[in-house]
Order: sequence, then structure tokens, then C-alpha cells
Amino acid sequence: MPEREEKGFSRIKELESINLATDEIRDQVIQTKKEVEKDNKKLAEQLNRKFKSHKIKSYDIVGAIGAGKTAILERITEKLGLNYRILVICGDITTRVDANRIEKHNAETIQINTGRECALNAYHIHQIIKNKDLNDYDIVFIENVGNLICPSEFILGTDKRMVIVSITEGEWVIEKHPMLFKMSDIAVINKIDLLERLGTNLDKMINDAKKINPNIDVITTSAKKGQNIDKLMELMGL
Amino acid sequence: MESMKKKIMEIEEIINNPEHIKTVDLKTLFNSFLSEIKNRIASYIGDYPTFIEPVFLEENVKIGDDVLLGPNVFIGTNSEIGNYVEISNSIIFENVKIGENFKIENCIISKNSVFNFSNLILKNSILSGINNREDDIRKIEL
Ligand SMILES: Nc1nc2c(ncn2[C@@H]2O[C@H](COP(=O)(O)OP(=O)(O)O)[C@@H](O)[C@H]2O)c(=O)[nH]1
Ligand SMILES: [Mg+2]
Repeated sequence: MPEREEKGFSRIKELESINLATDEIRDQVIQTKKEVEKDNKKLAEQLNRKFKSHKIKSYDIVGAIGAGKTAILERITEKLGLNYRILVICGDITTRVDANRIEKHNAETIQINTGRECALNAYHIHQIIKNKDLNDYDIVFIENVGNLICPSEFILGTDKRMVIVSITEGEWVIEKHPMLFKMSDIAVINKIDLLERLGTNLDKMINDAKKINPNIDVITTSAKKGQNIDKLMELMGL
Repeated sequence: MESMKKKIMEIEEIINNPEHIKTVDLKTLFNSFLSEIKNRIASYIGDYPTFIEPVFLEENVKIGDDVLLGPNVFIGTNSEIGNYVEISNSIIFENVKIGENFKIENCIISKNSVFNFSNLILKNSILSGINNREDDIRKIEL
């Protein structure tokens, strides 16, 4: 079975051209987009089976630029790096800044520079995993490209998806970006050490997340002060 | 870096004498080279490709639109990668020209090779020469 599945997959491409498509080809473009998303889902499911069969816990971490995704991963790897074998895949348009930050905490890192693409997709992860012996890892974290829109189209085959926002983005940020909250298991509202100074309406943010997705776990954190990181890890099952 | 350079020279020497290739030895050397590749993507000419590290680009590599490179890719000086190409676990030596929409996996492509056409999947092979059509290609299994 894996052999056949493996052959069937080709690269997953973002299709942003729907708005540009002329009327004659619009149907075709939309059809292609649906097929691409279906392929991505199939590949993601295959990846998830691989992770599960090797008893690897896996997490897709999404959120806006600067919300604190890397800072929270630093906190978590700092706590787990010595006892677990961790692989962190970092997605960014360019640079390996984030991978360098996380690497300091005893985690193996792989940086993906997406160039023009605004989200990781399952094919990227597949290309990395095909070279790895999954017996070598206990946990896989994937830090997606900083963005609250594009990642909602592409699942990556992880057990859990965690969306991180920060109170500096304003109390409307969750209500304005329902898609990612619908598709996530955990919502993290970060930088609560700044709450007093900013006066952000935190209750509204928590309620919005719950309204959009009644099943989502919501937690407030400060990666800077290390506040609630243990609780977050509990929610993650770590 | 020294070890990378040494290994790539050894690999080049082996594939220059195709009748003497011992696939087992070459494969070992190839895999050990791939595992040593350092990331070097600072200088290239072209669009913004997607890189999955590690990818090592020598000087003056030209990259087309919508290209996916890596992991474990080495590309030699002055080589040209066409639009929509995807390469992983492979060595492309210098002065190579890859046509559009090639997918290359586990391959070694020797110096001055040219592929003057589009749309091809190449896997687990050593390739060389000027190829104007798919029929021109002579592969050695890797
Ligand atoms: N005050 C405060 N700053 C934070 C917190 N978490 C992250 N930061 C800062 O916010 C900036 C962006 O964080 P980063 O982890 O790079 O965000 P990412 O883009 O989501 O990965 C950095 O300067 C961090 O030091 C926090 O909990 N409180
Ligand atoms: Mg980051």
C-alpha cells in the first residue's frame, strides 16, 4: 500500500490564481484547487499514520508573525530537550533565524524557506520525513509560516494543531480570523505579561475562540515570563 | 567543508569512468556526501524558490520560477535549473542545464549535462551528456 500511495503524490502547489483566472478557465482552476487540497489531505493522512505507528507526538503550530510561536517552542524544548528526541521543522519565507533559536535547546531543527509560498504543506513535510528514521524521534513540532490565513488550507498530518496569537494583535484578531480557530485543537493567547500596559480585552478573545470552536482549548501564556507553559504542555499531552 | 569537497571530487572521478563503477561503493560515498551537505543558499540568480535545508549552491546557479530544492541537494557552478523543477537527494555538477518541470530524486548528474526538453521524472540514476529528447537519455542505475 505505501508504495502505491508514495507514487501517487506530486508536489502540492498553492493556487492563488483564482482571482486572476479569466472566466473561460475559472472552473478548471477551481477544480484543480480542490484536487490539490484533496492530495494534500491524503498525504497528510499518510504522514499521520507514520507518526502514529512510531509513537511520535506531532504538532502543527500556526499563528501571526511575531505572536510568539518560536518563543513558546523555545520554552517547551528547553524543558523537554534533554529527555526527549525532538525534531522541529521551521517554516519561514527566508532565513534560519528561528531554527537557530530553537536548536540551542537540544532539538534537531530543519528550516524550510518557502520563498513565495505563505504556508507549509504536507509535501514539504513528506520530503523531510522520507529521509528520516522515525525511530529516532519522540516528538515532532512544525512551526508554520507566520500567517493567520493560508495555513488553514493545508493540514500537515500532525496529531494536533495549535494556533497562537498575542494580545498585542488586538482583541479583534480571533474574531477576524475564524478559519484557523475552527481547525485548531488549542488556542494560545500569548504575551499576557503586557496585559496591564495594553489593556486588551482578554475575555473577549477567549470568548471569541470558544464561540468559533466550542471544542477548542484556550490558554493564556507569557513565553517571556514562562507563565502557564506547564499548563499548555499538559493540554498538548506532553 | 573540506570533507564535502573531497567526497564530491571522488564521486566525480568515479562517474567519469562509467565502465568501472561499483554501484555499492558509489552509493555509500553518495549517501555519506548527502548527509554532510551544509546549507549554502545565499547566492543564486533567479526567482524565490522553496528550499528545504540542506541545499548547497555553488556560485552563479540560475534558478527558474516555482522551484523546490532540497533536502540534500548540491548544485555546481553555472548550472541552470528550469521553471517548476523539483530536486531532492541529488548532486548536480557544474554547467548542467535542467529543462522545465523535471522531478529529480536520488540522482547524480555529471558536469556539462544538458536536458533540452521538459517534463520528466528521474530517479536513482547517474546521468550525463547532451539530451535533446527523452530517448537520448542513457542512465546508469544508482
Ligand atoms: N512581552 C512578551 N514578548 C514576547 C512573548 N513571546 C514572544 N515575545 C516577543 O515577541 C517577538 C516575536 O516572538 P517570536 O517567538 O519570534 O514570534 P513568532 O514570529 O510567532 O515565532 C520577540 O521579540 C519575542 O521576544 C511574551 O510572552 N511576552
Ligand atoms: Mg517564529
